[in-house]
Amino acid sequence: MRASGPMTEPALTGSADHVCWVHDDADSFTAAAAGFLAAGLTRGERLLYVGEDDGIARLRREPGPLGPLDDLVAAGRLTLLARTDAYTRDDRFVPEDQLAFYRAATRQAVEDGCTGLRVVAELTALAADPRTRDELARWEHLADDFMAGGSGMSALCAYRRDALDADALTAVATAHPRLHVPDEVLPDDVAPFSVFVDDGRVVVTGCVDAFGADRLHRVLTASPLDAAELATLDLSGLQFADAAGCRAIASWAQDRLRRGQEVALSGASPLFARVWRLLGYDVLVPVVPQRGSA
Amino acid sequence: MNAPAGFVHETVTYSGDESFLDGVRGFVREGLERDEVVVVVEPRPRLELLRDALGSDAPAVRLLDMTEVGANPGRIIGVWAAALDRAVREGRVLRGVGEPAHRARTPAELAECELHEVLLDEAFGGGPAWRLLCPYDAEGLPPAVCARAQRTHPYRSGPEGPEPTGGGLLTAADLMAAVLPPPADVVLRGEFREADLPAVRRTVATWARSCDLPPERVEALALAASELATNSVRHGGGGGTLAMWSEPGAAVVEFSDTGRLTDPLVGRRLPDPTQVGGRGVYLVHQLCDLVAVRSTPDGTTVRITTWR
Repeated sequence: MRASGPMTEPALTGSADHVCWVHDDADSFTAAAAGFLAAGLTRGERLLYVGEDDGIARLRREPGPLGPLDDLVAAGRLTLLARTDAYTRDDRFVPEDQLAFYRAATRQAVEDGCTGLRVVAELTALAADPRTRDELARWEHLADDFMAGGSGMSALCAYRRDALDADALTAVATAHPRLHVPDEVLPDDVAPFSVFVDDGRVVVTGCVDAFGADRLHRVLTASPLDAAELATLDLSGLQFADAAGCRAIASWAQDRLRRGQEVALSGASPLFARVWRLLGYDVLVPVVPQRGSA
Repeated sequence: MNAPAGFVHETVTYSGDESFLDGVRGFVREGLERDEVVVVVEPRPRLELLRDALGSDAPAVRLLDMTEVGANPGRIIGVWAAALDRAVREGRVLRGVGEPAHRARTPAELAECELHEVLLDEAFGGGPAWRLLCPYDAEGLPPAVCARAQRTHPYRSGPEGPEPTGGGLLTAADLMAAVLPPPADVVLRGEFREADLPAVRRTVATWARSCDLPPERVEALALAASELATNSVRHGGGGGTLAMWSEPGAAVVEFSDTGRLTDPLVGRRLPDPTQVGGRGVYLVHQLCDLVAVRSTPDGTTVRITTWR
């Protein structure tokens, strides 16, 4: 099972982790990036840092546990890439192109004898730009699917809080199984729920209420697994869903069933199962409550 | 108010078992003779009494326990709506017996039964024709409750069948405007807006646990609270007030806001699958023991009582 939930220590991350690192200042982010990359270095992974020029300069100045960056670059262990070079083609941001890029880079890393590819990506500018924001959120889900599938890629995606409006930040944060927020912020305020891929299932964790239900529906519909013949929605980490949250799931399920695709719900709490039945959605998809641990 | 065409909602007052059977048995048998779908929703002792009295006819009657399906009076219209849908689909006429205001009800429940009775006519008036007979227990209920039944039912049973109860019928607007009894204990009170929704859920859950409610009831109450707080944010002026207090044998949570509920039937029937809203209050009625909704041009209050 993939690691999920709030986190603080970037070094304590595994080879399929996908972290959303929300930060308020460049220095704290640089330290986190260095720690995250250093953990990959220890495991024999190739490292890739994608960011703005000033971020790259800052990491060069304060590489922390990574040591001098030029040595790593010379040894082929680290690539430093300007965000505009890595993420846009002809000034366009195309998630499928991104996937091809990271797929090739991860394959190359493994062919070159590394155990995988560890990426730090500072993507605030893409999240802030109304022209790229929706595609960025879609890309985060595609990337998550790629990381969940045992590709060997792991990533820390950094977003600067004060440069983004709340909706833009929530949209990208929702696509990450792991979330870091600054000290004075509650993780639930940034992303009340997360949707990610684990073991071939779509996992929803956290709380989905009426104010997040439409977003859940959008995210489920855009999920890379939505094309599959059978989509299993894992609800074992869903702490709360209200009537609107259930309706979002039911509406997604209904669309799939209309297209001849199947849906299964697993890990539902006894209360979710009860509400699902009360609202009449069990005629669409039956739900069996997991044995309550509470 | 005139009796709605098609739906005949009548009351009969009884004193003791024989009088109950006299009032109900013939009504049920007449329905069976006409091949109508007969559904009886009574508290258990009366259910057993009627079953025995009907003898070999009993299996043809659908007998439901009012203390289960109608424990919260706000759920009963949904029961009748489902029965009516089913009968209509079968091409048959529905005939019902329902005793929402039975002797085991608390005063707070009896007030909701009264509103329920009035809302029945709002719900089914103008729809398919069917008859619903509501027995009132003169020995077990306060006299005022039986007297008021004459004002919540357009008809009462007479020797020749249903006869009008006469004027003075209460309306949903009358009863929705009634003030709920003030809390008898110390009240915990707080204001909320959209951003406070998670805090509302946590606060209600913490308080419910402190009232020694079991975990599944705590969770259900937190969900109900979230639905009502959401409604206040969406339809009640962007937020509202949460109040919580204890009563002997009960934990009470109340939401107030400045919005006005325009449809008094909201949440009493399962919304159509294509309908966007209306599921929140429906869930609240299904999950909670007692739900009192009051609304005037000045605002709306929803009080949820959980029996301990």
